[in-house]
Amino acid sequence: MLDQSVLARCNLFGVLKNIEYLAEHDPESAAFLPERPLSIRFAVHGGPLATLRLNPAKADMLAGRHPATVVLGFASPEHFNRMVSGKANPIPLKGLHRLAYLTGPFGKLTKRLEGYLRPDEATLRDPERFRRSAEMTLYAAMFSLVEIANGDPQGRRSAARIPDGVLQVSVAGSVGVRIVARGGQLSATKGYDPDPRALLHFASLQAAADIFSGKLDTYTALATGDLEMRGYIPMIDNINPVLDLVAEYLK
Amino acid sequence: MSHPVYKTDKSLELFKRALKVLPAGIPGHLGPVESQFIPTRAFPFYADRVKDSYFWDIDGNRYIDYMCAYGPNVLGYNNPVVEAAAAAQREKGDCMALPGRVQVELAELLVDTIEIADWAYFMKNGNDATSFAVMMARAATGRNKIIRIEGGYHGVAAWTQAAGRPGVTDADVGHNIILPWNDVAAFERAIAEHGSDIAGFIATPYDHRIFADNQLPAEGYWQKIRQLCTANGIVLIVDDVRCGFRLDLAGSARYFGFKPDLACYCKAIANGYNISTVVGIEALRTAAAHVFYTGSYWSAAVPMAAAVATIKELQRLDGANLMLAKGKALTDGLVSAAARHGLDLKISGAESMWYMRITNDDSLMLQQEFCAECTKRGVFFVSHHNHFINTSLTDDDIRQTLEIADEAFSIVAGRNPQRLNK
Ligand SMILES: Cc1ncc(COP(=O)(O)O)c(C=O)c1O
Repeated sequence: MLDQSVLARCNLFGVLKNIEYLAEHDPESAAFLPERPLSIRFAVHGGPLATLRLNPAKADMLAGRHPATVVLGFASPEHFNRMVSGKANPIPLKGLHRLAYLTGPFGKLTKRLEGYLRPDEATLRDPERFRRSAEMTLYAAMFSLVEIANGDPQGRRSAARIPDGVLQVSVAGSVGVRIVARGGQLSATKGYDPDPRALLHFASLQAAADIFSGKLDTYTALATGDLEMRGYIPMIDNINPVLDLVAEYLK
Repeated sequence: MSHPVYKTDKSLELFKRALKVLPAGIPGHLGPVESQFIPTRAFPFYADRVKDSYFWDIDGNRYIDYMCAYGPNVLGYNNPVVEAAAAAQREKGDCMALPGRVQVELAELLVDTIEIADWAYFMKNGNDATSFAVMMARAATGRNKIIRIEGGYHGVAAWTQAAGRPGVTDADVGHNIILPWNDVAAFERAIAEHGSDIAGFIATPYDHRIFADNQLPAEGYWQKIRQLCTANGIVLIVDDVRCGFRLDLAGSARYFGFKPDLACYCKAIANGYNISTVVGIEALRTAAAHVFYTGSYWSAAVPMAAAVATIKELQRLDGANLMLAKGKALTDGLVSAAARHGLDLKISGAESMWYMRITNDDSLMLQQEFCAECTKRGVFFVSHHNHFINTSLTDDDIRQTLEIADEAFSIVAGRNPQRLNK
């Protein structure tokens, strides 16, 4: 059973957070960023609060309440999650004058996001688009992992057993995410740690993509060196059941 | 002197075939992931044959084996005395419609050998023994709860696993009370809270968990636990599956000076033949007889004949003390070799089944590099688990091990100058 509030957090801080990536790395997305700065607050009743800050060159997903030009309300986490899967509309609470941006360019932006996270054959064949797709998938998974570990009841049980330290997740020639465990709570940031306690390293972006799409199982990948773990393995051992949950949440 | 580095391509080839027909390729604790083969390519995956302290992988490389099949190799692989006894029994029969005469002989030998044993009951794996012990504790007391120690390993049955693991329900582990090791006060609190429903206390003779320095019992710990169990009608179970016969042939409990009610044995009792046992005190004989517990192969005679021969050989050799002494010689040498290269190697647990860890980092990465470099050159070490000595280990094996370890430490030190002792 998915916890809808945790799913809402995954959608915000795992999936929609990738708008940051689009703004930075996807030239075609530039056309869909607003000409004037704009902040969208997602106010989910009984769920998370987040603010997406957009300007012509950059995007930031922030947790919590920040000044916002537009406020979108949701009656419940379910409502928000239905909106993300395209089956419901938000309740605009503020900023009606910017609604045209939301229904127009912003909708295109989220379409591009979806195109990368559920890539078709053409995307996978184009090396640059494949790279973006794989990197965004990795980010979505890792940032959702944190939400599930901190919020999902089963995830929390596993997380409680994760020893303190930094787990460095990295992909050769690509991106890294550092996952910090403290007292059974996880947090994640993009980038690299100088002194991680454990490492989970994908030998290539292709290997990472194949593992995340289920084409390559981790046992084969570990044996062949496509995936490598090192360091204090109890960290990874107890993160693995949470990773299984990520697959369920992001299905 | 530098030692040639092994190639293990045939292992990888076979493993790729295995992945198509075996879940995880190599299921269980011998798989490259569970075995912490880091990096995997430094390690062999399949053994071709064994003798004494060695195994040869399917690429033909020879390894001095300090895992001893995770414990069962206690006299050296293919020990001639044990093999002869097994062969003689095999001539007559192994798995039969009735137990062989040797079932009684083995039980008598165990009762004579293990201090607390008034009877013995046979099964196959360590987990068969620990699960049976827990059932007996419940049968004898009519209570539900089982105290166990955090990080303690008693097998794979659902009750032994952690809540939340795949396939484990809350009900499976709902009667477990998990306490820290060496903490008498925690046991007293558990008794205060659940006393009248605690059936048993199960623990290994000392804390030999994986991924952490092993810890011997604190002064007086076991004696206090014994007292509390007696005073509260709790069955005291020692899981001697791993330590058994490597500390004291009369039982690891005798080594630490206390008397449990039940003791579980497996790994070292038949030099690799498949048999395990629970031995117990007189007062639990009825419970043992009343719990329904059996299996197709549990009365097979060959492993019993092998066990009789193994125990007699261990007695003749004073096996436990011999392994403790060999372990001391080896680990002293490893510690000095590490120090020569600016590394601190910490040894913990009993020397016949020592745990080691380079302490210059807290991530085990140096330890993993060290074990990989040793294994690539023919000394089979893993980074997460205690190792094992067997009685056939020679001075020459120890000398070769120390030479290879010296080279491995120098490689690790060369790669990690920032981590070395100043
Ligand atoms: C202390 C201890 N108890 C129980 C077991 C389980 O034994 P088996 O794997 O034979 O079921 C083991 C195995 O490693 C062990 O070390």
